[in-house]
Amino acid sequence: MTALNEIESHIPALRRYAHALMRDLDAGDDLVQDCLERAVAALPSRRPDGSLKAWLFRILINRHRDILRRTARAGHLVAIENLPVEPATPAGQDGHMALRETEAAIARLPDDQRRALLLVALEGASFDEAAAALEIPKGTFMSRLARARAALRTMTGRADSVRRKTHE
Amino acid sequence: MTQIPAPLIEEDLIAYFEGALTSEEHDRITARLDADPQAQALLADWTAQNDALQQLYPAPDPALPDRLTRALHQAAPPTAPSWQGWRIAVMVGMLAIGTASGWIAHGVARPGQAQVVLAQAAMSAHDTFVVEVVHPVEVAATQRDHMDSWMSKRMGTDMRPPDLDAAGFRLMGGRILPSDSGPAGLYMYENGEGQRITLYVSNQPGQSDSAFRFATQGDTQSLYWNDADLGYAVVGDMPRPALRALADRVYDQLI
Repeated sequence: MTALNEIESHIPALRRYAHALMRDLDAGDDLVQDCLERAVAALPSRRPDGSLKAWLFRILINRHRDILRRTARAGHLVAIENLPVEPATPAGQDGHMALRETEAAIARLPDDQRRALLLVALEGASFDEAAAALEIPKGTFMSRLARARAALRTMTGRADSVRRKTHE
Repeated sequence: MTQIPAPLIEEDLIAYFEGALTSEEHDRITARLDADPQAQALLADWTAQNDALQQLYPAPDPALPDRLTRALHQAAPPTAPSWQGWRIAVMVGMLAIGTASGWIAHGVARPGQAQVVLAQAAMSAHDTFVVEVVHPVEVAATQRDHMDSWMSKRMGTDMRPPDLDAAGFRLMGGRILPSDSGPAGLYMYENGEGQRITLYVSNQPGQSDSAFRFATQGDTQSLYWNDADLGYAVVGDMPRPALRALADRVYDQLI
């Protein structure tokens, strides 16, 4: 398989992930397009070690960081810890409402937690793969993922137990 | 007090849930789950989270949009009208640079003020242009002779960008930006993983030479210094030692 073919085989995964990161299909495809242009341009200088897929995700994630850096400077993104937690109706009765609620909760996750959660939840990435894509140690990845899942439960009114804190 | 084992905590369970445990560890947690309804509820919630995410963002249509196929199969970056919004953001960014420097120019002049202005302008320029897709640089590195003569002329001094290939960063090109002390030069470099750094150079006549100083603005970090009537700032989003290593390379080549 040529490198271009291999890159092409990962496009569906990149699109799905980018769609979720941007919460918009077109904006996600913009991100993927940008990622592909960079990947193709950088391919000759890429060291052939490591997974091509993780490399592609790193490029995509670097671009996402670049975009959000500017958005964040506009001042409307606030760390989740600083947001008042709105009481949410427990999910279950209405699947559609529950989905919208999850969507809204995802939107309010800090970016690093959202990137971590989506890698495992959508892509089924292993801890090693996800840590490689995010360029962080595996332990850091695990605690980030745990925080993301806990924040999501809190925001959707599912965090009934207070005792289950993470180790930090 | 009690013989019941401590309840399972999230970090035990998350590795269990994601299949990241050895089979022995996995079995050990499974055995404890029966007596821990809260842990069971947590696992059920996480499953529900995954289900919701997969429904919200389903696998895309296998047919690729044309623009993605094009992006893959053509070497030259295509013009992409969908980035129009980014162009506007660039203009807003430029406005912000102007505003920030204007505000500082009205402040009380004190030692180091010019350098602080330089570092802020360099980081704002970095944030503005690293996200650019179509025109991250005005003149590409492929037109190196043209770039050097044009930027030297605009800056009124010999401008030759340092070579950072050995550190994995290739020169993409350069551009001229307005600054408090006249035209400033911005060079952009990119590594194999799409990470971009910039080198900002502006005239700082009368400023004495200085050691490296460090500044930060959000995730963007800068090392800046003065040398021979010029101010330099190396800007990137990376750990400080890595940025320092790059700044050292720049410094060595400019002297």
